[in-house]
Amino acid sequence: MDPIFMWDTLQRLLPGIPLMLQLVSLSLAVGFVLAVLVALARLSAFRPLSAAAAGYVFFFRGTPLLVQIFLIYYGLGQFPEIRDSFLWPFLRQPYWCAILAFTLNTGAYGSEIMRGGIQSVPWGQIEAARVCGMSGLLLMRRIILPIAVRQALPAYGNEMILMVKATSLASIITLMEVTGIAQKIIAETYRAVEVFVVAGSIYLLINFVLTRGVRALEWYLSPHLRDARQAAPATEAAALAH
Amino acid sequence: MSSPTFEVRDLHKRFGALEVLKGVSLAANDGDVISIIGASGSGKSTLLRCINMLEVPDQGEIRVAGEVIKLGNGADGKPTRPDRRQVDRMRTRLGMVFQSFNLWTHMTVLENVIEAPVHVQKRPKDECVAEAVALLDKVGIADKRDQYPVHLSGGQQQRAAIARALAMRPQVLLFDEPTSALDPELVGEVLRVIRQLALEGRTMLIVTHELNFAREVSSRAIFLHEGRVEEDGPPGEVLVAPKSERCRQFIASHY
Repeated sequence: MDPIFMWDTLQRLLPGIPLMLQLVSLSLAVGFVLAVLVALARLSAFRPLSAAAAGYVFFFRGTPLLVQIFLIYYGLGQFPEIRDSFLWPFLRQPYWCAILAFTLNTGAYGSEIMRGGIQSVPWGQIEAARVCGMSGLLLMRRIILPIAVRQALPAYGNEMILMVKATSLASIITLMEVTGIAQKIIAETYRAVEVFVVAGSIYLLINFVLTRGVRALEWYLSPHLRDARQAAPATEAAALAH
Repeated sequence: MSSPTFEVRDLHKRFGALEVLKGVSLAANDGDVISIIGASGSGKSTLLRCINMLEVPDQGEIRVAGEVIKLGNGADGKPTRPDRRQVDRMRTRLGMVFQSFNLWTHMTVLENVIEAPVHVQKRPKDECVAEAVALLDKVGIADKRDQYPVHLSGGQQQRAAIARALAMRPQVLLFDEPTSALDPELVGEVLRVIRQLALEGRTMLIVTHELNFAREVSSRAIFLHEGRVEEDGPPGEVLVAPKSERCRQFIASHY
């Protein structure tokens, strides 16, 4: 283990971090919206919709992300309909193919997490909202989704960490994020262990920051799970006033 | 003769093979406090839940606040489905208090009380907050307004739930066994609030096992047995010396 070499490696890997962060944040953001929509579709009473959602989830959870990336990057280009369409300027670039694959993948896993969150919203609280005249989008927006998201957040944190690591697969379609650059260095120097120790540490650090972020969000969203606010001074003063 | 504040006619409800309501009719005028008693499974909660359509009756008519909902098989032989907007409108005129409180856990007590007036009735927020504070004071938990429901005792949560129902300015209040889930020491504080509401002349329907309280507070009592109204009369009669044998047995087993 040569510290100077490892320091050099770190310097060379740093430029890959912005690309990795772009891939993660874009696919998680769009993937979350997709996850909520697909979860609602899965739970819908309209059979064709829930069947389509189930099919989508089945495919993208059942196949390896590696295969999905290949199919999108190498596979879609084989269809003349796609090459002639307005999507081609995007789909011919590895960057957008990677984003598409990651988004669809995290959308599938995320939708099952959200479906679990939505289904575990206490039925009584939904009824209480219904008897006030809430229904449809209002009920979803004010009661169901806020509670579902709070319940799904720990599991969703898991999915976010997995996505950070999944970005390393983007290297197989020529994207030079951290793992891509690491593989290039190894091809030049044959010093796999030291390079991967440095690369792994970068992922570790980013996941550490992410985990703390998710914990902070959990804490912020659940004041109802913390200790009771100190109302004592007010009541004591009131008692003394009597 | 003025029309009743609310009325249900010939309600039938079955869950699969089990017929829970076998033709229940009930009318209430302004200011009536009606207690509904009966054994488990007699259909008391189902009746209440049919009034605000938490359960959709298979057959019958519901008239509340000027809305009429008729259920049964339509001209094409298929069961009629109630119009969602009509049901929502009707529900805003009916307040309901549940056995297990059902406060929204991710909101403070004050936010619970103003939620429906602000987002469903679209009233200005300041007005709703002022009214909510007054209601919380009325039920005796003004100091808990910024607490979350999980930090309140059962009796306090139920009183918050009553304030939440009152905030909608309903025509009729429905209580589904409001004290059944409470420790005995906490039952009194909730009954105190309900008694006060009765004295104010609110129209209320209370499903309860608290027979003494029912006798004291209601203007009318109804005994349900196996989905049918067996007795319907003044509380002094139904709850003390009823005509029907089954009702007498029920009362005896409760004292």
